[in-house]
Amino acid sequence: MQDPRIRIASATVLSLAAFISLLGAAAVFLWWLVFIPHHLLAKKIRLVGSLILMIAFFSLVLELSGGNGLSYFVRMIVIILIGMWIFGEQKSGDFLSTGVWLFGEKTGFEIGMIAEMGMQSLVSFTDDIDRIRMAEKVKGMPWGVRSLVPAGLVLVHDALVRAEDNAELLAIRGYQKGGTLCPTFCTRRMDIVAGIAAGGVFIFSLMPVSEFFILYR
Amino acid sequence: MVRITLNQISTSREYWSISASGTFTKGLHLVSGDVGSGKSTLALMMCGLLPLSAGNIEREEIKTSTISLQFPELHITGLTLAEECASWGCDPYVLLDSIKLTGKKEMSPLTLSRGELKRFHLACVLAKDYDLLLLDEPFSSLDCEEKVKLCARLEQKSQGICIIFTHEQNILPGVNRVWEIENGTLVDCGTPPDAFRNWHHIPPVIKKLMVLGSIPRNISRNDLQEAVCRIQE
Repeated sequence: MQDPRIRIASATVLSLAAFISLLGAAAVFLWWLVFIPHHLLAKKIRLVGSLILMIAFFSLVLELSGGNGLSYFVRMIVIILIGMWIFGEQKSGDFLSTGVWLFGEKTGFEIGMIAEMGMQSLVSFTDDIDRIRMAEKVKGMPWGVRSLVPAGLVLVHDALVRAEDNAELLAIRGYQKGGTLCPTFCTRRMDIVAGIAAGGVFIFSLMPVSEFFILYR
Repeated sequence: MVRITLNQISTSREYWSISASGTFTKGLHLVSGDVGSGKSTLALMMCGLLPLSAGNIEREEIKTSTISLQFPELHITGLTLAEECASWGCDPYVLLDSIKLTGKKEMSPLTLSRGELKRFHLACVLAKDYDLLLLDEPFSSLDCEEKVKLCARLEQKSQGICIIFTHEQNILPGVNRVWEIENGTLVDCGTPPDAFRNWHHIPPVIKKLMVLGSIPRNISRNDLQEAVCRIQE
């Protein structure tokens, strides 16, 4: 999907649709199968491996304590798929352009820049995780649950240090608020089709389909 | 005898590649190169942590090996300095004493400054002898005094192969062999002082000394001082 505006809007409504109901999640999954190039999944699977394990753990706890853990698991996995797609297709500057287009050169620029920084952090996260795993291998430590706490601390610590460095750098350069940007977008026909379909999925997820079937019976 | 031989190894990314051939024997080796030239990638490949796109690596009598990554925080697996020492197989009391961090064994490694953490990490790495020790930018984040101490420590190492990957130009230890990465290829410059003729990343001080006709015997601070004294004579 070339147009970041449609991509971000689609990801937002699809995430909501997947979260609202299991049927919505199923519809989002179908949308994902139809419109997303699947090589993007392979690229980002490393990033979300631990996240999927964590969700599986909490889903199991929820299921065992009487909640609907399976439904939660399925819905969250579909949301992760959407997140992976957004992360895989996002290009540097997409959030900034969309932010400025949507909210102007002050607030929009700020929001876009924060989102860009967030994406940069995600990229750094994957590199850091790779290096941490290498360092553990050197020490002869297997990668597992025990590694999560120290590795998590290092990742959070590094993210905070980077955020502080970025803030100082912006302050040194005299940044106060907003900036000038003339966003340009390339919209393909398929982007529009996928965007409309995403909207349809969202509306479908809001419909009380199960009640309809009960009445029908 | 310990030996690691790189047989036309290479790896590549979208706009970048590195290839290397050569044999590293016992002693201290320096691999220099610009930032982004592929020093870290080569170090990871030599340690077996990155897959090779082509070629192979032969290791002879190398039973123990380790690598020190450029950013010391990525090595942290312990929640306290004592735990971190233990993860490297070191006694925390002895080690922390040696780097003036006595009484801080319950502190989190992440509360140390980058320089302190680097010093602590290098002390852990150098506490044991390895047949192959790869140090990626060991001088980064260290002040001059600590760099000099590190050089002395490295020169004292008598066991195995130690390879320093760095772009440091001022404070270096005396080495047995100089290598450099030039245009994506590892080049063997030779042994000092003959290596100075082929070394494109030669430190400016050595270059200047050579122009003045006083060629240092090696690249350590003492060698450079001795060469300067020869000019004055």
